[in-house]
Amino acid sequence: MSEAITLLAMFEDFEPASKGVEKLHELGLNDDDMNVISGIPIKNTILGRPSAITYVSRIGMLGAGMGVALGIFLIYGIPYLYPLLVGGQPIFPVPQGLIIAFEMTMLGLMGFSFLGMFIDSGFPSYTPKEYTPEISDGKIAILFSCPAQDQKKFEDALKKLGAESVHPVEARQL
Amino acid sequence: MATYAKPLARPKQHAEEEHEENPREHLMHDPLPRGQMNAMVMESMNETNPLFWVITAVLAVIVLFALGYEWSVLILQGQGTAGVTRPDYWGVFLVNTVFWIGISHAGTFISAILRVLKIESRRPFTRAAELMTTFGLVQAGLSIFMHLGRVWLVYWMFPIPNERTIWPDFHSPLMWDLMAITTYLLSSTMYLFLPLIPDLAMARDRTEGGWKKIFYKILALGFRGTEGEWKNLTTAMNIFAFAIIPVMFSVHTIVSWDFAMATRPGWSSTVFGPYFVIGALHSGMAAVAIVLFLLRSTMKHYKYFIRPEHFNTMGMLMLLVSMAWAYFYFNDYIVPWYGGDKWDKLVQEYTEKGPLAYLWFTMLIVNIVIPWATLWNKKWRETPWLLAIVGLLINVGMYIERYLIIPVGVTINRMPFTWRQYYPRIEIPMTIGTFALFLLLYMLASRLIPLIPVWEVQEGQEAHMIRKMGKAEISTLSDME
Repeated sequence: MSEAITLLAMFEDFEPASKGVEKLHELGLNDDDMNVISGIPIKNTILGRPSAITYVSRIGMLGAGMGVALGIFLIYGIPYLYPLLVGGQPIFPVPQGLIIAFEMTMLGLMGFSFLGMFIDSGFPSYTPKEYTPEISDGKIAILFSCPAQDQKKFEDALKKLGAESVHPVEARQL
Repeated sequence: MATYAKPLARPKQHAEEEHEENPREHLMHDPLPRGQMNAMVMESMNETNPLFWVITAVLAVIVLFALGYEWSVLILQGQGTAGVTRPDYWGVFLVNTVFWIGISHAGTFISAILRVLKIESRRPFTRAAELMTTFGLVQAGLSIFMHLGRVWLVYWMFPIPNERTIWPDFHSPLMWDLMAITTYLLSSTMYLFLPLIPDLAMARDRTEGGWKKIFYKILALGFRGTEGEWKNLTTAMNIFAFAIIPVMFSVHTIVSWDFAMATRPGWSSTVFGPYFVIGALHSGMAAVAIVLFLLRSTMKHYKYFIRPEHFNTMGMLMLLVSMAWAYFYFNDYIVPWYGGDKWDKLVQEYTEKGPLAYLWFTMLIVNIVIPWATLWNKKWRETPWLLAIVGLLINVGMYIERYLIIPVGVTINRMPFTWRQYYPRIEIPMTIGTFALFLLLYMLASRLIPLIPVWEVQEGQEAHMIRKMGKAEISTLSDME
């Protein structure tokens, strides 16, 4: 695609936005050429979009695995390295091991899910981005790239479907 | 042909019932444009009257006195300045710890369990409850440090080699406590932050310049609301919602094991785990009712977001939890009573007939009788001030319950020559300090972060519809998640 331009189409409601996505497909854009930005999470099927891929749960599971390993180390590794004999108590007890392993597993799961959200979303990111504050006021925006010479065609097509505005957008400081 | 029917309601009664059930009075069926809701929440954060700052200043002074001056005295002069001595080495500081951990349970319950169960009326007050979790745990953590005395030696509990060449003993319930409370504090703070990101982005978009703009810009992390960002955020929130529930149960169970693992009369009980968890929910739910009342009364526009229906939901939960608490309490009471162990009997008799018997009766009245006598009635449940008063009384009752378990519990032991009545001393101002700090943090948070999760409210409003069925209008919910 030579001389591409990035446009932002603003919609008031789901219905015209889903038709807008469909129209962009008809006009030759792939799903990868567009992104929907909204003030609330919108189920991908509502707009006819493929589901976004997320690695958060996998990163979380990795954290859970590391957590359980840490828990086992704390409850069994430490007494192995520095045995502390307390009147008749076993050095490697199972029930206490379950408690510490459980807490560390959950901490690992949630901590890494939190980190995973950061990593997968590229947070924090303070570089300029294509955005307009109207989105957090409830508008649904479709951000897409198209050939510059076809700008008018895309604008007209989306406005006809109910887009409130379709205009070129440049990255700005949020 | 004659027909038999039960007497029907009079037309007037019928009209009243219809009015009560009007779904359009519910927040989910009374939507406003998102921009307007954003503006309302921002206005409530930015408009502050002088009384707010007066109260803030008074709380700050109390915190400085109680947690600055008094704590310094405790550290410099030692635990002798507190009322703890043989046999009451566990006093009000630990009562406060258990109490504040209990308060912290409400946030997780409201936010996580109601989210998992998709109970829609949770939407406007999840954040207010989540904040209680984080701020409550801060007070619980401080209270443990107060009890610790020599706070500078806290690193002895960390798994790092120290000069004694002894590592912490993870076989001790106190170490389980450290692990569980740390896990809960970290995870609940992360869980508070996740759904806050879109609202911080909203605040960033609506703030013009100044330090607040920078504050929101940093905390919003560059969030725009792209499909990928929402997917990652909702996935993480779902993981947290499911994972934090067993952690919540584990925390107060482990707190109960601090007591139950000791073979001490009155403490060594197998039912202590669930009994403590339900007690935590009892005080926590009641505290949420108080917070909702205060927010609705003091924050501009909050009457739109927090409505009688939400107090009704809270009231029902409080009634349910009160019944569950009564069940567990009776269970914990009847077994030692029936068993007839000499020392258990002595503890029970001291609690019921001793010098603090009035506390025991007060606890039963405010934890059971008052909630059951009031919360069965929907109109009363929907009356914010009444629910707040019931909530306050329940919290008084739950504080008494912890007091009866801890310092009163250790008073009666198997060595009668050590029996001694415990009188808190420096503990009293320091306890007031934790309450003041909790309120102060809450008041400051109300000016800095949107206490209403606006995007969650809008999401709920988009999912709700009113459908006509016959002559009635019925609320329906679409699965949009």
